[in-house]
Amino acid sequence: MRTKLAVLLAGVSLLCTPPAVVAHHAIGGEYDLNKPITLKGTVTRIEWTNPHARIYFDVAGADGKVVNWNVELAARSALARQGWTQRSLNVGDTVTVEGVLARSGVNMVNARSVILPDGRKVFSGENNQ
Amino acid sequence: MKKILLVAALAALLVPLVVQQPASTQGQTIAAQRRAGPQQGPVPRLPDGTVDLGDGVWTGGGPINDIETEGGLKKGEIEALLLPSAKAIMATRDVTQEPHNRCLPMGIPRVTPFPYRFVQNYTHKKPTHMFILQEGNIHSYRQIFMDGRKHPPDVDPTWYGHSIGWFEKDTLVIDTVGYNDQSWFDRRGFPHTEKMHTVERWTRLDKGRMEHVFTLDDPGAYTRPWTVRFMATLSPPGDELMEYICTENNQYGVFSIPGWAEKFGGKPQ
Repeated sequence: MRTKLAVLLAGVSLLCTPPAVVAHHAIGGEYDLNKPITLKGTVTRIEWTNPHARIYFDVAGADGKVVNWNVELAARSALARQGWTQRSLNVGDTVTVEGVLARSGVNMVNARSVILPDGRKVFSGENNQ
Repeated sequence: MKKILLVAALAALLVPLVVQQPASTQGQTIAAQRRAGPQQGPVPRLPDGTVDLGDGVWTGGGPINDIETEGGLKKGEIEALLLPSAKAIMATRDVTQEPHNRCLPMGIPRVTPFPYRFVQNYTHKKPTHMFILQEGNIHSYRQIFMDGRKHPPDVDPTWYGHSIGWFEKDTLVIDTVGYNDQSWFDRRGFPHTEKMHTVERWTRLDKGRMEHVFTLDDPGAYTRPWTVRFMATLSPPGDELMEYICTENNQYGVFSIPGWAEKFGGKPQ
């Protein structure tokens, strides 16, 4: 299944609030809070781990080239205390990820929200444990 | 009449079951319950009258971002006490270099978003040790000797140092020396040296709250001793320590920060 491209680089919204989940480190050291990004793609892998859970997903660019992105979430234990499990999302699901870009410019984001096609948000909602 | 008694007996049996349901099955997550505020009620006690610290897991009770303002001081109050050598160390620090980014301990008195638990070890005569089990970061423990021993005259420096403890009414007092100089007090990077001596006073105020008054004397880094205050909160019923293996999938900086690989190695831990 090929997902539609949707790389909306962010000058759009300068109102980028920092990722709402509590992390073991300061997000700003690794990610540029002034570079929000929204990506849509297909989940290829879920790592239900500490100190961060991660999802990887394929995103098609404007040129049709598919690129795999690494998405940092909160700690697995923090997500569990918000009611999420690794079964809250599946490989093959289409998701929209809103987040901020890694400072190095690699295909890596810290997610503010992960949104399913029906609008439901996973791995977020009840934040700031 | 018999029927009524039977129903009453059944109800009496069932009520505690309902009350003791794990929090998650009541439809409210641990995170949501935490937001409702600290639990109410009196200080729980052991049969001998000592305050019971073993009835749950705790969060908070120390600094994360800024030890001055989170510890009840004004911005600049601790900074003004820094010796020139300590000031120079702090000036070199930025948030990406924090030791715990590389899965090293947070140190004392710093806390994390993750809970910890006080666990006392007993013999048939008396308590011997208090352990503080930390979920993260990192998954580790502190060992506090409660058997009346003194600090050894010469301690090899470690992250958590050598701790002795005792109770003064409802206050657990922890006296620690023998620290290494590695941990940061907060994200601003307040430093300390191996000369640091700390006294923690943990006072259970009621069921849900415990005050932590932390006094530090470090003639290697500060011109005089100083004191900060924090409040720890008992986590909701049903919350337990969870596994937190920091080196499991720590990718901090490896891909995201330019030049990280040259400084700290190029592989995720």
